[in-house]
Amino acid sequence: MSDQVAIKTRGLAKAYGHVQALRGVDLEVKRAEIFGFLGPNGAGKTTTIRCLLDLIRPQGGTIRVLGLDPQVDPVAVRARTGYLPGELSLEANSKVEAALRYLNDLRGNKADWAYVRQLAYDLELDLTMPIKNLSKGNKQKVGVVQALMSRPELLLLDEPTSGLDPLMQQAVYRLLKEAKAAGATIFFSSHIISEVGAIADRVAIIRAGVIVEEAEPARLADITMRRVRIRFKQPVDPGPLADVRGVLLLSHINGLSATLQAEGEIDGLIKALAGFPVSDLEVDHPSLEEVFLAYYEAGQKEVK
Amino acid sequence: MLAELKHTLGRMRGQMIGWSVGLALYGLVMISFYDSIAGMENFQQFIEAYPEQMQAFFKSMTELNTPKGYLGTYYFSYMTLIIGILAISAGAGLLVSDEEKGILDLVLAHPVSRTALFCGRLLGLVVALVVILTVSWLSWLIPSGSTGLKLTWIEFLRPFLPLFAVLLLFGTLALLLSMLLPSGRIAGMISGALLVADFLLLGLANSNQDLKSIVKFTPLYYYQGGDAVTGLNWGWLGGLLAVSVLFALLAWLLFRRRDIRVGGERSWRLPSLRAALRRS
Repeated sequence: MSDQVAIKTRGLAKAYGHVQALRGVDLEVKRAEIFGFLGPNGAGKTTTIRCLLDLIRPQGGTIRVLGLDPQVDPVAVRARTGYLPGELSLEANSKVEAALRYLNDLRGNKADWAYVRQLAYDLELDLTMPIKNLSKGNKQKVGVVQALMSRPELLLLDEPTSGLDPLMQQAVYRLLKEAKAAGATIFFSSHIISEVGAIADRVAIIRAGVIVEEAEPARLADITMRRVRIRFKQPVDPGPLADVRGVLLLSHINGLSATLQAEGEIDGLIKALAGFPVSDLEVDHPSLEEVFLAYYEAGQKEVK
Repeated sequence: MLAELKHTLGRMRGQMIGWSVGLALYGLVMISFYDSIAGMENFQQFIEAYPEQMQAFFKSMTELNTPKGYLGTYYFSYMTLIIGILAISAGAGLLVSDEEKGILDLVLAHPVSRTALFCGRLLGLVVALVVILTVSWLSWLIPSGSTGLKLTWIEFLRPFLPLFAVLLLFGTLALLLSMLLPSGRIAGMISGALLVADFLLLGLANSNQDLKSIVKFTPLYYYQGGDAVTGLNWGWLGGLLAVSVLFALLAWLLFRRRDIRVGGERSWRLPSLRAALRRS
């Protein structure tokens, strides 16, 4: 394995009873890159990350993390890796600082406590609070801090911004970019396309335990759909809007409002709307599952 | 391993203090009654008036006016059950409790091997039991000089060793079952039921010859209780400790191989059973 590769999996397979969670995952993550791992719930993102840390054992395939086999040398892999679980659980009765100190103890007190305080400050996290009194978002901040505090070479983050408000999401993105600038490799899962697009250098999309796409985020725009809701000042015939390339009329109510699905760039739709008496316009990114459905319906690529 | 030992002891601190204080108070109260009971006239006739089955069940009560019988009846006969509750609940939850809460997922993502985690936590349980029993031992030993319960420190200590061994055995049994069964709750329940069943079986076997052949296969048969005041059966003590070590080893092997859950209890794998039933 090249020194330039931080994570490499080949044919990774994992089943839970009769449920096949991973069906031959092939991944390659380069060092010092931010790699986004996109997929809907249950696609296999968490299972893949947990295999990389030897928390669960795959039934097939090979894994190399930082050049090491996690099943052979799990402690060495974990010593160089920071991990944020998808569902973070901590000792409810501990205070934040005690919980972080315990986790730091497990790392042989590697963390610089001034850096921990800096991270807590950046994320507006009170270290004196008992864990049980923290909101979901604040617990997530504890998870982010513990993953970053030892300045690991590799960060494995399962939905790192889950439960955080937009400001804190931005703060986390900033911290991840700083970690990357310091030479860390970041592998994070998400089901939010915009999040991955904002920070990832490369992206893999997993569905039903198989990687269906691996691309740079700019490429994601090609497969991204938007849902557009329009309210009109007076009744109109929204039919012509459906003639715009990539636009599908999903519904309309008495010509006073319409819901459209726009695939790819929406420049054509905006231009077409110039001729309509628009009173309000909402543009939503649909869920990844919806993107996938459109993706497959269009027959651009089949799930193997 | 040291970090896990420290952490386990920190988590068991409340239990250690509570159980130590409770048992110390019990020891102080019971030793203060010894002179009154031992000095009661016609006490032996009073005990002999009890139904034979009852005398047989609580074997040591016929010697209640001796240090060995008194300690056996009022402490060592049923402390296996009382402190056994702590040992079993701690053993059953030693690893699985954190797994069910989802905490183990994060802990094991740190540079700590499963073996170190297992050993650190098991050692924490052993230390907690030793601390509780030591405080209890001192609560009998220290005031004994001012009572008629004249025993040396080593005579007081001897019965605590088989008690420790039995507690460790049931604690490690619960730990092993927690690795095999879907949840720590079920492992604790089954271990507790086995302990109570063994306790009752042993008592009944004192008056029923048929049960004697069965009870020989249970751990409490090899528990000396108050009898150890006069001398330890090292073979029995070693046997109890050896079985504890065996249970711990098996639990360790299972823990090393298992997939760590994100949270919640494991299933009984009923789907495969349902599938088999459907096929038939």
